[in-house]
Amino acid sequence: MSVAELKERHLVATETVNNLKERLKQRRLALLDTDISGYSRSQGRTPVSFGPTDLVCCRTLQGHTGKVYALDWTTEKNRIVSASQDGRLIVWNALTSQKTHAIRLPCAWVMTCAFSPTGLSVACGGLDSVCSIFNLNSPTDRDGNMPVSRMLSGHKGYVSSCQYVPDEDTHLITSSGDQTCVLWDITTGLRTSVFGGEFQSGHTGDVLSVSINGSNSRMFVSGSCDGTARLWDTRVASRAVRTFHGHEGDVNAVKFFPDGNRFGTGSDDGTCRLFDIRTGHQLQVYSQQHADNDAPHVTSIAFSISGRLLFAGYSNGDCYVWDTLLAKMVLNLGSLQNSHEGRTRISCLGLSADGSALCTGSWDTNLKIWAFGGHRKVI
Amino acid sequence: MDEQEESQPSAATEGIDGRVAEHQIREEGEQDVNGQTQARIESSPNFIGRHRMAAAMSHLHNQINIIQEELDLLETYGESSLVCKEVILSVESIPDPLLTETIGPVEISWDRWFKATNNSRSNKRWI
Repeated sequence: MSVAELKERHLVATETVNNLKERLKQRRLALLDTDISGYSRSQGRTPVSFGPTDLVCCRTLQGHTGKVYALDWTTEKNRIVSASQDGRLIVWNALTSQKTHAIRLPCAWVMTCAFSPTGLSVACGGLDSVCSIFNLNSPTDRDGNMPVSRMLSGHKGYVSSCQYVPDEDTHLITSSGDQTCVLWDITTGLRTSVFGGEFQSGHTGDVLSVSINGSNSRMFVSGSCDGTARLWDTRVASRAVRTFHGHEGDVNAVKFFPDGNRFGTGSDDGTCRLFDIRTGHQLQVYSQQHADNDAPHVTSIAFSISGRLLFAGYSNGDCYVWDTLLAKMVLNLGSLQNSHEGRTRISCLGLSADGSALCTGSWDTNLKIWAFGGHRKVI
Repeated sequence: MDEQEESQPSAATEGIDGRVAEHQIREEGEQDVNGQTQARIESSPNFIGRHRMAAAMSHLHNQINIIQEELDLLETYGESSLVCKEVILSVESIPDPLLTETIGPVEISWDRWFKATNNSRSNKRWI
Protein backbone atom coordinates (compact mmCIF):
# COMPACT_ATOMS: atom_id res chain seq x y z
CA MET A 1 0.00 0.00 0.00
CA SER A 2 1.34 3.41 -0.88
CA VAL A 3 1.94 6.13 1.64
CA ALA A 4 -0.80 8.25 0.18
CA GLU A 5 -3.25 5.38 0.62
CA LEU A 6 -2.13 4.86 4.21
CA LYS A 7 -2.66 8.54 4.97
CA GLU A 8 -6.06 8.45 3.30
CA ARG A 9 -7.16 5.43 5.38
CA HIS A 10 -5.96 7.14 8.54
CA LEU A 11 -8.00 10.24 7.75
CA VAL A 12 -11.10 8.17 7.01
CA ALA A 13 -10.74 6.21 10.24
CA THR A 14 -10.30 9.41 12.24
CA GLU A 15 -13.43 10.87 10.68
CA THR A 16 -15.35 7.69 11.49
CA VAL A 17 -14.28 7.92 15.14
CA ASN A 18 -15.38 11.56 15.35
CA ASN A 19 -18.74 10.83 13.72
CA LEU A 20 -19.39 7.93 16.06
CA LYS A 21 -18.48 10.06 19.08
CA GLU A 22 -20.95 12.69 17.94
CA ARG A 23 -23.69 10.09 17.42
CA LEU A 24 -23.04 8.70 20.88
CA LYS A 25 -23.24 12.18 22.41
CA GLN A 26 -26.55 12.92 20.65
CA ARG A 27 -28.04 9.55 21.54
CA ARG A 28 -27.16 10.09 25.21
CA LEU A 29 -28.71 13.55 25.17
CA ALA A 30 -31.91 12.09 23.77
CA LEU A 31 -32.11 9.61 26.67
CA LEU A 32 -31.66 12.31 29.31
CA ASP A 33 -35.35 13.03 29.77
CA THR A 34 -34.71 14.47 33.20
CA ASP A 35 -31.92 15.10 35.64
CA ILE A 36 -32.07 14.21 39.34
CA SER A 37 -33.24 17.66 40.46
CA GLY A 38 -36.06 17.72 37.92
CA TYR A 39 -37.18 14.24 38.89
CA SER A 40 -36.91 14.92 42.65
CA ARG A 41 -38.96 18.10 42.36
CA SER A 42 -41.61 16.21 40.40
CA GLN A 43 -41.74 13.73 43.29
CA GLY A 44 -42.36 16.50 45.80
CA ARG A 45 -38.91 16.58 47.40
CA THR A 46 -37.77 19.87 48.95
CA PRO A 47 -34.19 20.99 49.66
CA VAL A 48 -32.44 20.12 52.90
CA SER A 49 -32.21 23.14 55.17
CA PHE A 50 -29.74 23.88 57.93
CA GLY A 51 -30.12 26.22 60.89
CA PRO A 52 -27.15 28.45 61.77
CA THR A 53 -25.82 26.09 64.46
CA ASP A 54 -26.60 22.76 62.84
CA LEU A 55 -23.32 21.98 61.05
CA VAL A 56 -20.46 23.32 63.14
CA CYS A 57 -16.70 23.14 63.31
CA CYS A 58 -16.07 21.16 66.48
CA ARG A 59 -12.31 20.51 66.25
CA THR A 60 -9.33 22.28 64.69
CA LEU A 61 -6.31 20.01 64.22
CA GLN A 62 -3.20 22.18 64.33
CA GLY A 63 0.30 20.93 63.86
CA HIS A 64 1.32 21.03 60.22
CA THR A 65 3.62 23.91 59.28
CA GLY A 66 2.75 23.82 55.60
CA LYS A 67 -0.29 23.50 53.34
CA VAL A 68 -2.36 20.39 53.91
CA TYR A 69 -2.62 18.44 50.65
CA ALA A 70 -4.44 15.22 51.53
CA LEU A 71 -6.25 13.40 54.31
CA ASP A 72 -7.87 10.02 54.94
CA TRP A 73 -9.93 8.57 57.80
CA THR A 74 -9.58 5.07 59.24
CA THR A 75 -12.32 2.52 58.76
CA GLU A 76 -12.84 2.47 62.52
CA LYS A 77 -14.06 5.69 63.92
CA ASN A 78 -11.73 8.44 64.86
CA ARG A 79 -8.26 8.51 63.33
CA ILE A 80 -7.07 10.59 60.41
CA VAL A 81 -3.81 10.67 58.48
CA SER A 82 -2.88 13.95 56.77
CA ALA A 83 -0.10 14.90 54.36
CA SER A 84 1.42 18.35 54.07
CA GLN A 85 3.82 20.55 52.15
CA ASP A 86 5.92 20.47 55.33
CA GLY A 87 7.01 16.99 54.23
CA ARG A 88 5.24 15.13 57.01
CA LEU A 89 2.38 12.75 57.59
CA ILE A 90 0.55 13.27 60.86
CA VAL A 91 -1.78 10.67 62.36
CA TRP A 92 -4.45 12.26 64.54
CA ASN A 93 -7.07 11.05 66.95
CA ALA A 94 -9.73 13.44 65.70
CA LEU A 95 -11.88 13.04 68.81
CA THR A 96 -9.14 14.10 71.26
CA SER A 97 -7.18 16.26 68.75
CA GLN A 98 -4.04 14.40 69.78
CA LYS A 99 -1.27 13.49 67.35
CA THR A 100 -0.26 9.86 67.61
CA HIS A 101 2.42 9.87 64.89
CA ALA A 102 4.39 12.51 63.02
CA ILE A 103 6.28 10.90 60.13
CA ARG A 104 9.03 12.78 58.34
CA LEU A 105 8.93 11.71 54.71
CA PRO A 106 12.02 10.78 52.68
CA CYS A 107 10.56 12.89 49.86
CA ALA A 108 8.91 16.09 51.04
CA TRP A 109 6.81 16.56 47.90
CA VAL A 110 3.83 14.52 48.98
CA MET A 111 0.45 14.73 47.20
CA THR A 112 -1.65 11.94 48.66
CA CYS A 113 -2.04 9.69 51.70
CA ALA A 114 -4.26 6.78 52.72
CA PHE A 115 -5.00 4.69 55.81
CA SER A 116 -4.98 0.91 55.45
CA PRO A 117 -8.25 -0.91 56.24
CA THR A 118 -6.85 -2.35 59.49
CA GLY A 119 -5.46 1.04 60.51
CA LEU A 120 -1.98 -0.49 60.98
CA SER A 121 -0.34 1.18 57.98
CA VAL A 122 -0.42 4.39 56.01
CA ALA A 123 0.57 4.98 52.41
CA CYS A 124 1.67 8.17 50.68
CA GLY A 125 2.96 9.29 47.31
CA GLY A 126 3.96 12.36 45.39
CA LEU A 127 6.55 13.85 43.08
CA ASP A 128 9.04 11.06 43.76
CA SER A 129 6.76 8.80 41.64
CA VAL A 130 6.80 6.25 44.42
CA CYS A 131 4.11 5.08 46.82
CA SER A 132 5.65 4.56 50.28
CA ILE A 133 4.10 2.39 52.97
CA PHE A 134 4.72 2.96 56.71
CA ASN A 135 3.82 0.40 59.34
CA LEU A 136 2.65 2.48 62.29
CA ASN A 137 3.92 -0.08 64.80
CA SER A 138 7.51 0.16 63.53
CA PRO A 139 10.07 1.43 66.01
CA THR A 140 11.77 4.62 64.87
CA ASP A 141 15.41 4.52 63.77
CA ARG A 142 18.39 6.23 65.42
CA ASP A 143 17.37 9.64 64.06
CA GLY A 144 13.84 9.27 65.36
CA ASN A 145 12.47 8.64 61.88
CA MET A 146 9.95 5.97 61.01
CA PRO A 147 11.39 3.62 58.38
CA VAL A 148 9.59 2.98 55.12
CA SER A 149 8.33 -0.60 55.24
CA ARG A 150 7.67 -0.92 51.49
CA MET A 151 8.30 1.26 48.45
CA LEU A 152 6.06 0.74 45.42
CA SER A 153 8.13 1.86 42.44
CA GLY A 154 7.22 1.71 38.79
CA HIS A 155 5.25 4.81 37.94
CA LYS A 156 6.92 7.10 35.41
CA GLY A 157 5.24 10.18 36.78
CA TYR A 158 4.01 11.66 40.05
CA VAL A 159 1.64 9.70 42.28
CA SER A 160 -1.44 11.90 42.59
CA SER A 161 -3.75 9.68 44.59
CA CYS A 162 -3.80 6.32 46.37
CA GLN A 163 -6.41 4.16 48.03
CA TYR A 164 -6.19 0.75 49.71
CA VAL A 165 -8.50 -1.93 48.36
CA PRO A 166 -11.15 -2.33 51.11
CA ASP A 167 -10.96 -5.29 53.53
CA GLU A 168 -7.31 -6.04 52.93
CA ASP A 169 -4.03 -4.34 53.74
CA THR A 170 -2.34 -6.14 50.87
CA HIS A 171 -3.45 -4.21 47.79
CA LEU A 172 -3.79 -0.60 46.85
CA ILE A 173 -4.51 1.43 43.73
CA THR A 174 -2.56 4.52 42.68
CA SER A 175 -3.17 7.16 40.01
CA SER A 176 -0.31 8.96 38.31
CA GLY A 177 0.89 11.77 36.12
CA ASP A 178 2.14 9.04 33.77
CA GLN A 179 -1.53 8.62 32.63
CA THR A 180 -1.96 5.23 34.29
CA CYS A 181 -3.50 3.71 37.38
CA VAL A 182 -1.80 0.74 38.99
CA LEU A 183 -3.03 -2.05 41.26
CA TRP A 184 -0.16 -3.02 43.59
CA ASP A 185 0.52 -6.14 45.62
CA ILE A 186 2.07 -4.61 48.73
CA THR A 187 3.52 -7.88 50.06
CA THR A 188 5.72 -8.28 46.98
CA GLY A 189 5.94 -4.61 45.98
CA LEU A 190 5.02 -5.59 42.42
CA ARG A 191 2.41 -4.23 40.03
CA THR A 192 -0.50 -6.64 39.64
CA SER A 193 -2.10 -4.60 36.83
CA VAL A 194 -1.50 -1.37 34.92
CA PHE A 195 -4.62 0.42 33.70
CA GLY A 196 -4.06 2.53 30.61
CA GLY A 197 -0.68 3.68 29.38
CA GLU A 198 1.05 3.20 26.07
CA PHE A 199 -0.89 1.18 23.49
CA GLN A 200 -3.83 0.81 25.85
CA SER A 201 -7.18 2.62 25.69
CA GLY A 202 -6.70 4.58 28.88
CA HIS A 203 -6.49 8.18 29.93
CA THR A 204 -4.74 10.60 27.59
CA GLY A 205 -3.66 12.96 30.34
CA ASP A 206 -2.36 12.90 33.91
CA VAL A 207 -4.62 10.88 36.21
CA LEU A 208 -5.41 12.92 39.30
CA SER A 209 -7.77 10.87 41.41
CA VAL A 210 -9.11 7.36 42.10
CA SER A 211 -12.05 5.98 44.03
CA ILE A 212 -12.73 2.30 44.67
CA ASN A 213 -16.33 1.07 44.78
CA GLY A 214 -17.23 0.32 48.40
CA SER A 215 -19.90 -2.19 47.27
CA ASN A 216 -17.74 -3.98 44.69
CA SER A 217 -14.03 -3.52 45.20
CA ARG A 218 -13.24 -4.86 41.72
CA MET A 219 -14.54 -1.61 40.25
CA PHE A 220 -12.84 1.75 40.54
CA VAL A 221 -13.15 5.11 38.90
CA SER A 222 -10.37 7.52 37.88
CA GLY A 223 -10.38 11.24 36.98
CA SER A 224 -7.92 12.91 34.67
CA CYS A 225 -6.54 16.06 33.06
CA ASP A 226 -8.04 14.73 29.82
CA GLY A 227 -11.43 15.90 31.13
CA THR A 228 -12.87 12.41 31.49
CA ALA A 229 -13.59 9.96 34.25
CA ARG A 230 -13.12 6.25 33.51
CA LEU A 231 -14.59 3.19 35.13
CA TRP A 232 -12.27 0.17 35.41
CA ASP A 233 -12.68 -3.49 36.27
CA THR A 234 -9.49 -4.68 38.00
CA ARG A 235 -9.72 -7.96 36.07
CA VAL A 236 -9.52 -6.14 32.72
CA ALA A 237 -6.57 -3.78 32.53
CA SER A 238 -6.46 -3.36 28.77
CA ARG A 239 -9.39 -0.99 28.45
CA ALA A 240 -11.77 1.03 30.60
CA VAL A 241 -15.28 -0.37 31.06
CA ARG A 242 -16.69 3.06 30.23
CA THR A 243 -15.47 6.62 29.66
CA PHE A 244 -17.53 9.51 31.01
CA HIS A 245 -17.42 12.79 29.11
CA GLY A 246 -18.94 16.10 30.11
CA HIS A 247 -16.41 18.08 32.10
CA GLU A 248 -14.64 20.94 30.36
CA GLY A 249 -11.51 20.87 32.46
CA ASP A 250 -9.28 18.60 34.53
CA VAL A 251 -11.22 16.15 36.69
CA ASN A 252 -9.50 16.67 40.04
CA ALA A 253 -11.69 14.50 42.22
CA VAL A 254 -13.79 11.36 41.85
CA LYS A 255 -15.78 9.60 44.59
CA PHE A 256 -18.21 6.69 44.49
CA PHE A 257 -21.75 7.35 45.63
CA PRO A 258 -22.76 5.32 48.70
CA ASP A 259 -24.94 2.87 46.72
CA GLY A 260 -22.00 1.95 44.51
CA ASN A 261 -23.94 2.45 41.27
CA ARG A 262 -23.11 6.11 40.77
CA PHE A 263 -20.11 8.31 41.27
CA GLY A 264 -19.40 12.03 41.63
CA THR A 265 -16.69 14.15 40.04
CA GLY A 266 -15.21 17.60 40.69
CA SER A 267 -13.37 19.62 38.07
CA ASP A 268 -11.35 22.71 37.13
CA ASP A 269 -14.45 23.76 35.16
CA GLY A 270 -16.00 24.64 38.54
CA THR A 271 -18.71 21.98 38.44
CA CYS A 272 -19.40 18.68 40.15
CA ARG A 273 -21.29 15.97 38.29
CA LEU A 274 -23.03 12.73 39.12
CA PHE A 275 -22.76 9.80 36.68
CA ASP A 276 -24.48 6.42 36.57
CA ILE A 277 -21.98 3.57 36.08
CA ARG A 278 -24.35 1.10 34.43
CA THR A 279 -25.82 3.35 31.73
CA GLY A 280 -23.15 6.03 31.60
CA HIS A 281 -25.80 8.76 31.98
CA GLN A 282 -24.72 12.11 33.38
CA LEU A 283 -27.46 12.46 35.99
CA GLN A 284 -26.75 15.91 37.41
CA VAL A 285 -24.51 18.95 37.21
CA TYR A 286 -23.82 20.93 40.40
CA SER A 287 -22.73 24.46 39.57
CA GLN A 288 -23.21 28.06 40.59
CA GLN A 289 -23.29 31.02 38.26
CA HIS A 290 -20.15 33.12 38.51
CA ALA A 291 -20.24 36.74 37.40
CA ASP A 292 -16.70 36.98 36.16
CA ASN A 293 -16.74 33.72 34.20
CA ASP A 294 -13.83 32.59 36.29
CA ALA A 295 -15.37 29.86 38.41
CA PRO A 296 -13.19 28.53 41.23
CA HIS A 297 -11.92 25.00 40.70
CA VAL A 298 -13.36 22.04 42.57
CA THR A 299 -10.43 20.44 44.39
CA SER A 300 -12.12 17.65 46.36
CA ILE A 301 -15.50 16.02 46.98
CA ALA A 302 -17.20 13.66 49.41
CA PHE A 303 -20.75 12.34 49.86
CA SER A 304 -22.55 12.10 53.18
CA ILE A 305 -23.23 8.50 54.18
CA SER A 306 -26.71 8.41 52.58
CA GLY A 307 -25.59 10.41 49.56
CA ARG A 308 -28.09 13.18 50.24
CA LEU A 309 -25.28 15.72 50.71
CA LEU A 310 -22.34 16.37 48.40
CA PHE A 311 -19.46 18.27 50.01
CA ALA A 312 -17.22 20.12 47.57
CA GLY A 313 -14.02 22.00 48.38
CA TYR A 314 -12.98 24.83 46.07
CA SER A 315 -9.77 26.68 45.25
CA ASN A 316 -11.15 29.94 46.69
CA GLY A 317 -11.80 28.52 50.16
CA ASP A 318 -15.49 27.80 49.67
CA CYS A 319 -16.76 24.46 50.90
CA TYR A 320 -20.21 24.00 49.48
CA VAL A 321 -22.74 21.57 50.85
CA TRP A 322 -24.95 20.51 47.92
CA ASP A 323 -28.31 18.81 48.24
CA THR A 324 -27.59 16.06 45.69
CA LEU A 325 -31.26 15.42 44.93
CA LEU A 326 -32.32 19.03 44.38
CA ALA A 327 -28.93 20.29 43.06
CA LYS A 328 -29.12 23.24 45.43
CA MET A 329 -26.23 24.65 47.44
CA VAL A 330 -27.62 24.61 50.99
CA LEU A 331 -24.62 25.74 53.05
CA ASN A 332 -21.12 27.12 52.57
CA LEU A 333 -18.85 25.82 55.34
CA GLY A 334 -16.20 28.26 54.11
CA SER A 335 -18.26 31.20 55.27
CA LEU A 336 -19.20 29.81 58.68
CA GLN A 337 -17.76 30.92 61.96
CA ASN A 338 -14.58 29.08 62.88
CA SER A 339 -13.90 28.09 59.31
CA HIS A 340 -10.48 27.95 57.67
CA GLU A 341 -8.55 31.21 57.65
CA GLY A 342 -8.94 33.83 54.95
CA ARG A 343 -9.99 32.49 51.59
CA THR A 344 -7.44 29.70 51.54
CA ARG A 345 -7.98 26.73 49.29
CA ILE A 346 -9.72 23.66 50.64
CA SER A 347 -7.41 20.98 49.24
CA CYS A 348 -9.01 17.82 50.59
CA LEU A 349 -11.97 16.53 52.50
CA GLY A 350 -13.32 13.24 53.75
CA LEU A 351 -16.12 11.72 55.75
CA SER A 352 -15.61 9.57 58.87
CA ALA A 353 -16.53 5.89 58.48
CA ASP A 354 -19.84 6.23 60.36
CA GLY A 355 -20.70 9.43 58.49
CA SER A 356 -20.95 11.53 61.66
CA ALA A 357 -18.14 13.94 60.83
CA LEU A 358 -16.53 15.66 57.86
CA CYS A 359 -12.86 16.63 57.90
CA THR A 360 -11.59 19.45 55.69
CA GLY A 361 -7.92 20.15 54.99
CA SER A 362 -6.70 23.53 53.84
CA TRP A 363 -3.74 25.51 52.60
CA ASP A 364 -4.03 27.42 55.92
CA THR A 365 -2.16 24.36 57.39
CA ASN A 366 -5.10 23.20 59.52
CA LEU A 367 -7.63 20.41 59.43
CA LYS A 368 -11.12 20.99 60.74
CA ILE A 369 -13.79 18.56 61.87
CA TRP A 370 -17.43 19.38 61.18
CA ALA A 371 -20.39 17.59 62.75
CA PHE A 372 -24.13 18.01 63.26
CA GLY A 373 -24.84 19.65 66.59
CA GLY A 374 -28.45 20.63 66.11
CA HIS A 375 -31.73 18.93 66.83
CA ARG A 376 -32.23 15.82 64.75
CA LYS A 377 -35.67 14.75 63.58
CA VAL A 378 -36.08 11.02 63.01
CA ILE A 379 -38.65 10.08 60.39
CA MET B 1 9.26 13.01 26.29
CA ASP B 2 10.37 10.06 24.22
CA GLU B 3 7.31 8.09 25.16
CA GLN B 4 5.05 10.79 23.83
CA GLU B 5 6.86 10.77 20.53
CA GLU B 6 6.77 6.98 20.45
CA SER B 7 3.03 6.94 20.61
CA GLN B 8 2.54 9.46 17.83
CA PRO B 9 1.88 7.62 14.61
CA SER B 10 2.79 9.03 11.26
CA ALA B 11 2.23 8.79 7.58
CA ALA B 12 5.37 7.96 5.67
CA THR B 13 7.19 8.78 2.49
CA GLU B 14 10.04 6.73 1.13
CA GLY B 15 13.44 8.35 1.53
CA ILE B 16 16.39 7.94 -0.78
CA ASP B 17 17.96 5.26 1.40
CA GLY B 18 14.71 3.27 1.60
CA ARG B 19 13.87 4.38 5.12
CA VAL B 20 10.56 6.10 5.55
CA ALA B 21 10.17 9.75 6.29
CA GLU B 22 7.47 10.76 8.68
CA HIS B 23 4.85 13.39 8.41
CA GLN B 24 3.47 13.82 11.84
CA ILE B 25 -0.16 12.98 12.26
CA ARG B 26 -1.56 13.85 15.65
CA GLU B 27 -3.38 11.00 17.33
CA GLU B 28 -6.11 10.41 19.84
CA GLY B 29 -3.94 12.06 22.48
CA GLU B 30 -4.42 15.43 20.88
CA GLN B 31 -8.02 16.35 21.35
CA ASP B 32 -9.59 19.73 20.96
CA VAL B 33 -12.05 21.08 23.54
CA ASN B 34 -14.96 19.17 21.97
CA GLY B 35 -13.12 15.89 22.26
CA GLN B 36 -12.75 15.68 18.52
CA THR B 37 -9.72 13.75 17.36
CA GLN B 38 -7.36 15.90 15.34
CA ALA B 39 -5.88 14.51 12.14
CA ARG B 40 -3.73 17.39 11.02
CA ILE B 41 -0.81 16.60 8.74
CA GLU B 42 2.33 18.52 9.49
CA SER B 43 5.36 18.14 7.31
CA SER B 44 8.26 17.67 9.65
CA PRO B 45 10.37 14.95 8.12
CA ASN B 46 11.40 12.19 10.52
CA PHE B 47 12.34 8.65 9.78
CA ILE B 48 10.27 5.85 11.28
CA GLY B 49 8.77 2.54 10.12
CA ARG B 50 5.43 1.75 8.57
CA HIS B 51 4.63 -0.36 11.61
CA ARG B 52 4.06 2.88 13.54
CA MET B 53 1.34 3.76 11.07
CA ALA B 54 -0.18 0.30 11.41
CA ALA B 55 -0.25 0.69 15.20
CA ALA B 56 -2.09 4.00 14.82
CA MET B 57 -4.66 2.41 12.50
CA SER B 58 -5.14 -0.47 14.91
CA HIS B 59 -5.69 1.95 17.78
CA LEU B 60 -8.29 3.86 15.74
CA HIS B 61 -10.09 0.63 14.83
CA ASN B 62 -10.18 -0.35 18.52
CA GLN B 63 -11.76 2.98 19.30
CA ILE B 64 -14.33 2.50 16.55
CA ASN B 65 -15.27 -0.90 17.99
CA ILE B 66 -15.49 0.41 21.53
CA ILE B 67 -17.74 3.34 20.57
CA GLN B 68 -19.91 1.12 18.37
CA GLU B 69 -20.36 -1.33 21.26
CA GLU B 70 -21.39 1.51 23.52
CA LEU B 71 -23.89 2.79 20.94
CA ASP B 72 -25.41 -0.71 20.72
CA LEU B 73 -25.63 -1.05 24.49
CA LEU B 74 -27.17 2.40 24.80
CA GLU B 75 -30.19 1.15 22.88
CA THR B 76 -30.90 -1.30 25.72
CA TYR B 77 -30.76 1.29 28.48
CA GLY B 78 -33.79 3.23 29.52
CA GLU B 79 -34.09 6.95 30.06
CA SER B 80 -32.37 8.71 32.93
CA SER B 81 -35.66 9.08 34.86
CA LEU B 82 -35.52 5.35 35.69
CA VAL B 83 -32.10 5.82 37.21
CA CYS B 84 -33.17 8.96 39.10
CA LYS B 85 -35.89 6.91 40.81
CA GLU B 86 -33.22 4.44 42.03
CA VAL B 87 -31.11 7.28 43.40
CA ILE B 88 -33.93 8.72 45.52
CA LEU B 89 -34.80 5.27 46.90
CA SER B 90 -31.19 4.61 47.84
CA VAL B 91 -30.61 8.01 49.48
CA GLU B 92 -33.76 7.84 51.58
CA SER B 93 -33.03 4.35 52.89
CA ILE B 94 -29.81 5.12 54.78
CA PRO B 95 -29.65 6.86 58.21
CA ASP B 96 -27.50 10.00 57.89
CA PRO B 97 -25.99 11.74 60.96
CA LEU B 98 -25.41 15.01 59.09
CA LEU B 99 -29.04 15.63 58.10
CA THR B 100 -31.62 17.58 60.08
CA GLU B 101 -34.19 14.94 59.14
CA THR B 102 -33.18 11.30 58.74
CA ILE B 103 -34.58 7.81 59.03
CA GLY B 104 -33.43 5.82 62.03
CA PRO B 105 -31.91 4.11 63.80
CA VAL B 106 -29.87 6.92 65.31
CA GLU B 107 -26.56 5.92 66.91
CA ILE B 108 -25.58 7.59 70.20
CA SER B 109 -21.97 7.66 69.00
CA TRP B 110 -22.91 10.15 66.28
CA ASP B 111 -22.92 12.82 68.99
CA ARG B 112 -19.51 11.93 70.45
CA TRP B 113 -18.04 15.07 68.84
CA PHE B 114 -20.05 17.18 71.31
CA LYS B 115 -19.44 15.26 74.52
CA ALA B 116 -16.87 16.68 76.94
CA THR B 117 -13.66 14.68 76.83
CA ASN B 118 -11.54 13.81 79.88
CA ASN B 119 -9.06 16.46 78.79
CA SER B 120 -11.48 19.33 78.72
CA ARG B 121 -11.37 21.82 81.52
CA SER B 122 -15.11 21.99 81.94
CA ASN B 123 -18.11 19.84 81.21
CA LYS B 124 -19.56 22.36 78.79
CA ARG B 125 -20.89 21.01 75.56
CA TRP B 126 -19.21 22.42 72.46
CA ILE B 127 -22.30 24.41 71.47
